Amino acid sequence: MVLPQGVTDYLNENAQNNGVEQPKPGDDLFKSGVLDSFALVDFIGVLETETGIKVPDSDVKAANFQTLEAVERYVESRKG
Amino acid sequence: MKAYITGTSTFVPETSVSNEEIAERLGLEPEQIFKSSGIRRRRWAEKGTTTSFLATEALRLALEDAKLKAEDVDYLLFGTMTPDRFIPGSAPSVQKSLGLREIPCLDIRAACSNALYALQLASALTTSGAAHRVAICLAEIQSAYLNLSPEAGTTSMLFGDGASALIVSNEKTEGALEIIDIHLATDGTYVDDLGLRCPGTEFGASHTHSTGENASDYFPRMVGQSVILQASRKIVASCQAVLQRNNLAASDVRWMVPHQANANLLAQVARGLKFPTDQGGVISVLEDYGNTSSASMGIALDTLRRSGRIQSRDRLLLPAFGAGFTWGAGLCVAVD
Repeated sequence: MVLPQGVTDYLNENAQNNGVEQPKPGDDLFKSGVLDSFALVDFIGVLETETGIKVPDSDVKAANFQTLEAVERYVESRKG
Repeated sequence: MKAYITGTSTFVPETSVSNEEIAERLGLEPEQIFKSSGIRRRRWAEKGTTTSFLATEALRLALEDAKLKAEDVDYLLFGTMTPDRFIPGSAPSVQKSLGLREIPCLDIRAACSNALYALQLASALTTSGAAHRVAICLAEIQSAYLNLSPEAGTTSMLFGDGASALIVSNEKTEGALEIIDIHLATDGTYVDDLGLRCPGTEFGASHTHSTGENASDYFPRMVGQSVILQASRKIVASCQAVLQRNNLAASDVRWMVPHQANANLLAQVARGLKFPTDQGGVISVLEDYGNTSSASMGIALDTLRRSGRIQSRDRLLLPAFGAGFTWGAGLCVAVD
């Protein structure tokens, strides 16, 4: 699946604000400095709004959102 | 019958310890500590100070604030994670040292949510008529348990010692805060993500520091990412729950008086609630006191009350999150 524009816009804007490169497939969003724990909370809010999924608290962990591919897989699993 | 907070107080140890004084031992930079927590200094008690001593002095001040005497108290709740002794609780020590009557005295162990849990119990006791004036002590001496080495730097940098006390009464007094509602919750899934394992029946009652086997179980443990992620969401959800069931929105609240965990977390919660942060409405005492766990919300509330900025009918939102995980939010209104 392709992530909605609003989701990638959020990540790209965060990368710019943090002075790091825009995330590419395979990049670790945390190690590259695009996300940290606080930003992940906001990111999940964006993800819920943009994709219509509901992320339960038990799924709120970095491993589910480590890379663009992981985010896509997670969204698909919630939609499925 | 209604329940009111009629007295508040703060009592902290004299010794203030700056980031500059501990940064090197913790393997951190002073500014890094401030940037990641909002803390510049914290109070640490002298060795030998007991938690019940801090609590007793705080309660003495809160009674003075509420214009009450020790004999007026008919119930004592003591929230702490760092009691004087393993058994009994610390409440009996406060009862003795302050000369309270032979009233019910008990400790509660809901960690950093202690203030909220105690307020709900006190509210229930006073509105039911089981008690008329409940004293709540909230105190910690955490410095005695910290691992002051780089391996625990980002945890140990946070914590301070201190005490606060609250008086809850079913009699309205000038300057009182009516307790409107309190929402509380717990999820034991995260029991190991924040806390201190030993001594206890699960991980052992005696330490084996000599062999180094379970030394870390005697120090606080915190899975920072889990705490931040869960706290950010659960606190906001709890605030929204308590507001919704009282037909209110965040914009109806003048003051947010949270448990003082971390400045970045307070900002995150305010953002999640769309609560304005540019009008001084989020009360923070983190810079001077650090995270005093059980005591922190009471210290923040006392600081706000003594500032004289609360106007009658102002609404206050009191969110907290702690080990367990336990969390919740309280709603109060300043009386006319």
